[in-house]
Amino acid sequence: MFDIPKDRTVPFGCVTPAPLEEQPMMITGNWREYRPVIDQEKCNLCMNCVAFCPDACWQVDAADEEVVWNAKYCKGCLVCVTECSTEALSKAYELDFPDGVVRLEKPF
Amino acid sequence: MAKELTLSGCAAAAQAVKMARVDVICSYPIRPYTAAMMELAKMVNEGELDAEFIHGEGEHAQLSVVYGASAAGARVFTGSAGVGVTYAFENYSPISGGRLPVQMMIADRALDPPGDFGSEHTDAMSARDQGWIMGWAETPQEAFDNHLINYRIGEDARVMLPQFVCQDGYFVSHIPGKVKIPDQAQVDEFLPPYRPGRHVLDPKQPCSHGPQIRPDQGAIMDLQRAQAFLDLPPVIEEVIDAYNRIMGRSYSPWLEEFMTDDAEIVFFLMGAHTATARHAVRHLRERGVKAGLVKLRFVRPWPSEQVARSLAKFKAVGVIETSTSYGGSMRGGNLLAEVRASIYDAPKRPLTTSFMAGLGGDVIPLQEFYWMAGKLLAAVKAGRVEKAVYWAGLEHEDAPAAGARSDGAPVAVAVH
Repeated sequence: MFDIPKDRTVPFGCVTPAPLEEQPMMITGNWREYRPVIDQEKCNLCMNCVAFCPDACWQVDAADEEVVWNAKYCKGCLVCVTECSTEALSKAYELDFPDGVVRLEKPF
Repeated sequence: MAKELTLSGCAAAAQAVKMARVDVICSYPIRPYTAAMMELAKMVNEGELDAEFIHGEGEHAQLSVVYGASAAGARVFTGSAGVGVTYAFENYSPISGGRLPVQMMIADRALDPPGDFGSEHTDAMSARDQGWIMGWAETPQEAFDNHLINYRIGEDARVMLPQFVCQDGYFVSHIPGKVKIPDQAQVDEFLPPYRPGRHVLDPKQPCSHGPQIRPDQGAIMDLQRAQAFLDLPPVIEEVIDAYNRIMGRSYSPWLEEFMTDDAEIVFFLMGAHTATARHAVRHLRERGVKAGLVKLRFVRPWPSEQVARSLAKFKAVGVIETSTSYGGSMRGGNLLAEVRASIYDAPKRPLTTSFMAGLGGDVIPLQEFYWMAGKLLAAVKAGRVEKAVYWAGLEHEDAPAAGARSDGAPVAVAVH
C-alpha cells in the first residue's frame, strides 16, 4: 500500500480529459528564450500564426479584430514568426531586461 | 475444426494473430520476423482476415501507428527483429505508460554492428525494462499459444499492459514444427473481443493521450506501472489456466521443469535452445548424470519466488545466457543477475554460474551442453563455482584429462 498525496495523483495511463480552455497543470511559458512581438498595423489576420502554433498560443480576440498572444504557454519556438505572411511578427530576446537581471518564475 | 499443421514460428504467429481477430496491423520488413507479416498480408488480401493492414515507413512509425490505433480502442499487432526493435525504442515507454495493450512479436536477431542475421536475445532483452510483458517460445506451437495468451493477459482490465511475444529468429521463426490449431470457436471463447476501458478515444468524452505531466507526478506514474506488474502474476496464472482448459494444453505459467525429480545439476534457460538442452539432459541421464532443466516462460514479470523455490532443490544451476550485458554485475549476460537476485534471500541456495552460449545465432551443440554439465559437476564436487561466466566453446582449456571422451562428454561422467 502506498500513500499518494492528493495534489500529485495521476489519472490512469496519464490520460486526461481534453482541456476545453487552458490546461492549468503545465505552465510552459517560462521555457522561452525569445518571444514573438506583433505589430498590429502590419497584421492582415491571415491566421497563419493561429494555425501553426503548436501550443495554441495565438487566438483571435473576442471582437474578432486582432490576434492575441498567450505568454503563459508560449515556449518561444518562433514558428509564428517564420510563418507570418506580412512580417508583422518579430522576435525579442526574453532575458534582455533593462536592469540586466534574469527573472524566472517557478521553473516548473 | 481443430487441426494440426506444420508451421514455422512466423506462420504460427500469423495464424494466432488472425484467430485473435486483430483490427489493425502495422508492418515493416526486417528478417527473420517478416515472414509473419507476409502471411498476414496474404490473409488480409484474400479476405480471410478483416483488418487494417498498414505498411509503416520504419519501425518507429510501426509502433506509432499501433500506439494510436490502440489508443483508439483497436486490438493491434506489430513486430520486428534486431535493430528494428531498437529503432522503435522511443515508443515502448509511452505505450506502457499509456496502459495500452499493444502486442509486438519479436523474432530475435543479433544487433549490429556488424550485421549478423543470427538469433540472439539481446534485441528484445534491451527493452525488458520498458513496462512490457515479455516471454519466449521454444517451439512454433508455444509461439502460437503465447500470442493468444498474451492478448488476454494484456487486455485484462486489471492489467492493461503491452506485450513483447518473443521467439528465437530462425531456430523457431523459420524451422517448421507441428502446431495444433484450435477451432475459431475455442479461440473466441478464450479471447473475447477487446473491450477497452474509458482511457481510449471516445468522441463523447474527449481526452488527451501522453500529455505533459509535472516532474512531481513522474514518480506516481512510475508507481502505477510498478503496481501493475505487482498485480500481474495472479492474472497470468488465471489466464494460462483458462487456456489450458479450453485448448487442452498443460502449460505451467512460469517455469517448466524437465527431468528435475532427483536432479543435482540443471540448465536454466529460455527459448529455442531448450529443445537441444532436453536432448543433452536425456543423454546425460543415460550416462548416469543427474541432470535436468528449468525453462523460463516469462522474463517480465520475472517470477522471483518460483525461481527461488524451484532452484532450491538442486546443487548447481547453469544459467544459459543468450543475451549480453556488457560490464553488468555478472560481466556476462542478464539472466544470472536475475537468478542470483531471486535466490539471495532464500534459505537454501544452489551454486550458480552462467554460460555465454548461442550468441550471434550460433547453435549450442550437444557437446557444449556436456561441457557445461562438466563445469557444474566440478562445482558440486568443489562446493563452489570457479567463476560466474564461461564463454562456451571459447574458454582456454588445459589438455583433456585421461578418461575424457572424444565427443566432449564431461570428464566427471567417465569417472562415474
